[in-house]
Amino acid sequence: MEADKDNANPTIINPSDLPSRRRSAPTQKRPGIFDALAPAYPTLADQLSSPEASSDSGSSSDEEEREEIDEQEVFDLISTISDPEHPLSLGSLGVVKLADIAIMPPTSPRSRISTIRVLITPTTSACSLTTVIGLGVKVRLVNALPPRFRVDVRIKEGTSNTAGEVNKQLGDKERVAAAMENRSLVNVVNTMLATCV
Amino acid sequence: MSDIQLYLLEVDKDKAEAQQVAARSARRLESKEAKLIDLITSLEPYINDKGDANSRAKSVGFLADVLSALPPKILSGQERRLLCDFITGRIEGDLEGIGASARALIALEGLARWDTQSVQTVVRTFVDHANPLRQFKLQTERYAVVQLIDLLLAKYRDAMRKLHEDDAEFMPSFIAFFEGEKDPRNLMIIFSLLQVPMTEWDIRAHAQDLFDSVFNYFPITFKPPPDDPYGITAQDLKDRLRACIAANSDFAPYAFPQLLDKLDSTSMNTKRDVLQAIQACVVGYEAKTINLYSVTLWDALKFEILNVQEEDLAVESLKALTLIGAKFADSAEGPLNAYLRPIIKECNEHLEDAPTKQSEAAGRILYSVAMAGQTVADKLVKGILPTLFSLHSSSESLTKRRGLLEVFNQVLKAYADLEDVQPGIDTEAVQSFASEALDAMERALIHAPKAEVSFRLTSLNGLSCLVSVRKALSDAQVDRVVDAVTEIVLHERVEGHGDIRTPAIKALTEMAHSVPHAIRDRSVPAFMVEMPDCPSEKDVPGMVLEAFAQLSTEGQVFDTVAVRLKNKYNAARHQSAPVEYRRALLLALLYAFTFGAPAREDGIVRSSYYTEYAESLVTDVANGHREGSTLEVIGRIVNTLLNPQGVHFQTTVYSKNLDWMTAANNKDNADVSLTPFTLHYYAALRPEVTDAADIVPLLQTQASLALHRESHPAAAGSVLRLITLLLNKFANPKTLEPTLKATNLEVLTLLSQPVSPATANLALAITKALLLQGKTPTLTTTYLETLLAHLPTAPNPLARNFTTLLAPDNLLTKQNHCLISGLYKQKLFAHTLPPLTDAIRTADPEQKPYYLVALSGILRWLPYSILEPRLSSLIAPILQTLDLPAAADGAHEAKPSALTILESTLMHAPEMLEEHTASLVSRLLNCTTSTATDTTINNPWTLRAKALQCLALCPRQLKSEKVMPFRRQVVRRLLVCLDDGRRGVRAEAVRCRGAWLGLGEGEEEED
Repeated sequence: MEADKDNANPTIINPSDLPSRRRSAPTQKRPGIFDALAPAYPTLADQLSSPEASSDSGSSSDEEEREEIDEQEVFDLISTISDPEHPLSLGSLGVVKLADIAIMPPTSPRSRISTIRVLITPTTSACSLTTVIGLGVKVRLVNALPPRFRVDVRIKEGTSNTAGEVNKQLGDKERVAAAMENRSLVNVVNTMLATCV
Repeated sequence: MSDIQLYLLEVDKDKAEAQQVAARSARRLESKEAKLIDLITSLEPYINDKGDANSRAKSVGFLADVLSALPPKILSGQERRLLCDFITGRIEGDLEGIGASARALIALEGLARWDTQSVQTVVRTFVDHANPLRQFKLQTERYAVVQLIDLLLAKYRDAMRKLHEDDAEFMPSFIAFFEGEKDPRNLMIIFSLLQVPMTEWDIRAHAQDLFDSVFNYFPITFKPPPDDPYGITAQDLKDRLRACIAANSDFAPYAFPQLLDKLDSTSMNTKRDVLQAIQACVVGYEAKTINLYSVTLWDALKFEILNVQEEDLAVESLKALTLIGAKFADSAEGPLNAYLRPIIKECNEHLEDAPTKQSEAAGRILYSVAMAGQTVADKLVKGILPTLFSLHSSSESLTKRRGLLEVFNQVLKAYADLEDVQPGIDTEAVQSFASEALDAMERALIHAPKAEVSFRLTSLNGLSCLVSVRKALSDAQVDRVVDAVTEIVLHERVEGHGDIRTPAIKALTEMAHSVPHAIRDRSVPAFMVEMPDCPSEKDVPGMVLEAFAQLSTEGQVFDTVAVRLKNKYNAARHQSAPVEYRRALLLALLYAFTFGAPAREDGIVRSSYYTEYAESLVTDVANGHREGSTLEVIGRIVNTLLNPQGVHFQTTVYSKNLDWMTAANNKDNADVSLTPFTLHYYAALRPEVTDAADIVPLLQTQASLALHRESHPAAAGSVLRLITLLLNKFANPKTLEPTLKATNLEVLTLLSQPVSPATANLALAITKALLLQGKTPTLTTTYLETLLAHLPTAPNPLARNFTTLLAPDNLLTKQNHCLISGLYKQKLFAHTLPPLTDAIRTADPEQKPYYLVALSGILRWLPYSILEPRLSSLIAPILQTLDLPAAADGAHEAKPSALTILESTLMHAPEMLEEHTASLVSRLLNCTTSTATDTTINNPWTLRAKALQCLALCPRQLKSEKVMPFRRQVVRRLLVCLDDGRRGVRAEAVRCRGAWLGLGEGEEEED
């Protein structure tokens, strides 16, 4: 009945096995359950201390610890994209994997441009929608990352029969731009990205 | 003019007047002034008027109205019979006024019960001569007829059934009679009346026609008109139609094929209706009928579960599978086996390549079918588990094993849930697999690599399920499970990915429900080993304590947990353990009493807990053991246990403690460190327990503490809270002013001198007490006005602390017997809004921030519904609040509050903001700038994130022509935010930018 799909019954990764920042944060930092017992509202007592100390939920420690954009953050941006033929996320299908995301620093000291490389693993080697998935990932990252990053989306070697052709398409700025002029393609991409919240 | 003439004149112009005329005729009949025969005769020229159909119909209407107005026992039996014959006779020759005829007959029936003969004649007349009903164009006419038939079917069951039994031709005419009806009001009655023949008569010969006559309406797509006075919803119609479809097993050959055909519909609503109808049929039809279709149904329903289109469709399909199983659960084995065979086969197939969507669906299917009853569940166990475990033992892949165990857990869960429905079910079938499952899951939990999170979680969950299935495991096996899970909670230290302590604690708590004794005998001692009497400061076992406290949520082990915590606290105290440890133990105890399940009597926590747990703590405090960090927790424990108790109990406690409390709160020699305890203690007491003479000195002491002693901010805060609490609870509103004067708490006097921060705070604390109490409105208003007047002259910290007037305080509650006026928020808002907005408009730039801060402080705690009516005057000040320089005192609290209101406004009343779009967008953008970009700006990251959230709402909520002009600017400015230093801000920036990028896309499509 699902003959129109390339891979009707793909393996799904359990959500608790997907990499996430919450779980990789050290446990000491998380508030203990007893903290919930403490009153949560401001009283005159809080306000008696100096205004700087009381008001501040982050500003003093704010800028000193910059949280750099890392692979996990890139993964979080693209893992929630929906697969165009299954109501499942690219992360849970293993199409995008944390290990296949690499952030490369600027090549010369004078350049500010870093590169983010994402390798995509199609669910089957004959998946005809590989290009669309690649396009979706690319569009998502270009829109969501600051301009100092160059986004390089490729098909992981040996996972697709059409990798060479697809890589050429995704690497070609003009062709990507042309693809995004195509209404029906844009609609498919938008539907895929609609689940990124 | 005769009555009939008058009636004919009035009936089209004035219905009520016409009714009056008919009622008058009825009164004449009643008083014997007129005879029935005269009335009928007077009708004659009109009721037989060959040339004027309208007049004939109206004359029948007159007759109906007269009969409706007539009390019983006026007309003789003969007269009634005559009338009945007259009306039915008329119908045979003339169908005009059919509705009125029906009304007349309903009225006649209301006067006295009919005999079988009359009933049958009436029904036959309508069915034979007025068939089909749809020939009458007026809904009201058909409505009256339908009502009449409904009435007769309800009251004369035998007469109606005989009609059908005596004449094979009756049923077809009866069915045809209602055919083509479209009005929802009529259909509601028709669906209801047809259920009588459907369920009570032998209609085998006409099953298809009868079924089709209702199924033609399936699926109901009726949408009530916007101002429908009849209040009939599509759901009402659906419910009645479904009852018809499910009314008779003889419908099955027609119902199931057609329903299953419609299950392929592309409309989700149709599918919903089909699934509900199938469920109703399964419940309504006989088991032997369902037997014929069980496999067909399974074949169709399974697709909804294996390939979920909409989750609710899957849920409904699963429900149907349960119902089918339940239908066979108590009957002979054959039908049940026939039903389960394909299910078992299909599920076993999906197990082969677990874990997939399908294997997960198989788990859901097995759970639902097993929920049909223990006999069904047993058969599934025998059919599925051998395959499942042989696959499990032959596979090396952890992922596959996880998939298989997930399915197994669903089966276990069914047994555990069945036990709740039918306590004492036999779990023998599971027992034979329990040992194997236990070994596999215990091995997985203990030995699998810690990074295999889902595998270990599935095993943990499975072990918890195994324990919850009664008798599935032996006592020794239960102990093994409890030990393994306790071991994880206590000793496993995995940082980050792989940490499953939280679910392990939850599992332990769940197990405490089914096997409390094992938790008491195995886990609790293990926990105790990890809690020494006197650890060093660095080794306070905080995590262990947290886990232990959570066990208290299970009532059966609550007392064990609480007693152990108390004993441990006493031991720690005697051995002078570090104060952090003692505080942690007290917090654990407080957690247990707050979130746990202490025993209750008549809905309140047992008073003996106070005696056993709080009393000794209070004695320690009385004896001078007063450490700031534990004293507050002790106060809260006392409060939790004491506040629900009755007056009698509280009085005993109060008088026992009065002496030392009074001594400690002596005016000249007060112990300010005791205040946190005093605060919670007095919060618990009912006002009638105390004596006013005790309260006044206490207030005096606290007032002098508040004004004259330099103390730690926390202690000073407690003093102010205590003053608010005491005034609110114990000061008599009638003698409030003298009390305030006697205790030096009169606000006007306080503010008449140069205002220090301490005086300002004290004035706010006092005003808050009165405001909440709501009994002295004049005084409260005076105080509020005085405070407002002091805003520009005594700014610090008055403006910033204005917010405390409304800020919730978890001690000032009704539960703590405080007086809380229902409208205090509205009152404060109404009194302060006009002066504040006026002042903001006219104040000079230096003073303006104080007003803005005070205003946003108040708005911060107001529910949106209260401020909504005044939004128009608030938007401008709120936007100005966002311009406050970062250095302004209180700006840090004011801005988030302003953003929260803007967010609510964008959600609920975006039109209010449309004219301010430009200034809204630019201010929000300004709030997103971080120090990294511009060092003069200091927007905390939470503010930046919040501003981005608001900004993201703009393109969705405001009219596109209003926001479109800003699209380019916003999208460009947000590029900077995408590189913000904080991850949380970046995430919001991505969302926000997506919303603005998406702007206008919908319109392009239409081009």
